[in-house]
Amino acid sequence: MIPAFAVQSLSKRYPHFALEDVSLSLQPGTVMGLVGANGAGKTTLLRLLSGLAAPDAGTVEVLGHRLPEAQADARREVGLASEDMRLYRGRSLDWHIDLVRQIFPSWDDDYAATLVRRFDLKPQQTLGGYSHGQRVKALLLLCLARRPKLLLLDEPTTGLDPVARLEVLEALADVLRDERRSVLFSSHNTADVEQLADRIAFLHAGRLVADADKESFLDQWRRVLCLGAAPPTLAAWPEVAAVRSAGSQVEVRVRAWREDLSDRLAAAGLRVERVDPMSLEEIFVTAVRTGGAA
Amino acid sequence: MSFAPNLPLIRLLVVKDWQLFQKQLAAYVLAGIIALALLGLAKPWAFHLGATLLLVVLVAAACFAISTSLLVERKEQTLAFVMSLPVTPLDFTLAKLAGNLLTFGVPYLVLLGGTAMVILGTPIPDGFVVFAVLVFGHVLLAYGLSLAVAMRVESEGWNTFVMIASMVLVNPFIMVIGQIDAIAGPARTDAITWSAPALAILAAQILLFALAIAWTAWSLGRRPAFY
Repeated sequence: MIPAFAVQSLSKRYPHFALEDVSLSLQPGTVMGLVGANGAGKTTLLRLLSGLAAPDAGTVEVLGHRLPEAQADARREVGLASEDMRLYRGRSLDWHIDLVRQIFPSWDDDYAATLVRRFDLKPQQTLGGYSHGQRVKALLLLCLARRPKLLLLDEPTTGLDPVARLEVLEALADVLRDERRSVLFSSHNTADVEQLADRIAFLHAGRLVADADKESFLDQWRRVLCLGAAPPTLAAWPEVAAVRSAGSQVEVRVRAWREDLSDRLAAAGLRVERVDPMSLEEIFVTAVRTGGAA
Repeated sequence: MSFAPNLPLIRLLVVKDWQLFQKQLAAYVLAGIIALALLGLAKPWAFHLGATLLLVVLVAAACFAISTSLLVERKEQTLAFVMSLPVTPLDFTLAKLAGNLLTFGVPYLVLLGGTAMVILGTPIPDGFVVFAVLVFGHVLLAYGLSLAVAMRVESEGWNTFVMIASMVLVNPFIMVIGQIDAIAGPARTDAITWSAPALAILAAQILLFALAIAWTAWSLGRRPAFY
């Protein structure tokens, strides 16, 4: 089966930033959340995946098209929307729809009409009169109604008020029910990613820190609260991501939880008080601080 | 990598630019017609006022076409939307050049034709046509250079500098060709005389304009990607 995208040993260097040696792929029908702080390289990776940027090293294939050589062919099957993308303020949504419809034979008029109603947009109104949330929804409509095989969304919910954010997330959740469609969306909001993604990749300072199924992240990471004195070698245990002591309390963040770890901690002189699951945000922060998740 | 342009898509993008800017450019044409009407009065005060207004309109139309279709699109981030469509750098470059040449070319040609008609149809000496065409030639060259820079350089400051500098040079240009007897002399008569210096200047203007546009199309169209 042809992957929705596959990048291998990908690098892109700018004067003050470099994306280095990223290898990542997405199987069809999968939703991947790309999590990273501002400046982590999410936009650069999405530009490379849409053929807008050419890599300095490595390869990019999207829906079987080699990029950037076949960028136009790939973008016929890809919906790309980014937080820094704007529509023409002096023109209406109808005008934009008419333009995009002429370019994409796959344009679905019925679906577009459904989305207009769902997003409560006024198609004849010029976009200058739209709120930021409405403009984001209009942009998503223009992406979704062309029925792309792969959706690339760069920070789609950034700057939205809670209501608009919820509407956009619900619309995306609907789209994601289509098992043939693959989605990569970037965000620094781990709650959005946790809600929508099947697979999660962490990007930090231009490097891929982790890439795994959401469930394996949530299953494997644990916060273990102990009493006692942490042995000096604890932080070097392969399954331990971070150790923090406060008085007699020791918090151990574990990247690969196993039931026998409690016994090993006890043998090392620590009494395990609690074992809690970690949120995706905690996992992300711990992973980037420690330089890896797996 | 295919270097065959997608002509239907380029046509769509050109039409898009035309639709976006046609109202404002119609306003420039209207202002130009007022300038031509003043020229047509064939009185010294009206001639000077009309000529000044015509130059202002031409320069403004040139700067408007470049700034709205390139600089403002960059600033307002609508270029990102265009680049999300299935366009290659070659399609994008050709569409931007063609759209810009169309949006400026239409008012430019209307005003050039109108100026010639006014000169030939009023007591203004017919020989002044050559002088007027050379002035129009300078604006065309300044426009071509400004467009080439705007396509390549993102800095708003540099673009503004090149646009203003090249357009403002029309004043010394008028003074220079006014000092060339082979051009200034026949301009005061009813004989339309294309002297060797006039033809050489016009040829240089057209050649440099064509080179600026061709170099821009060639160099930017060959890029493998936008970034």
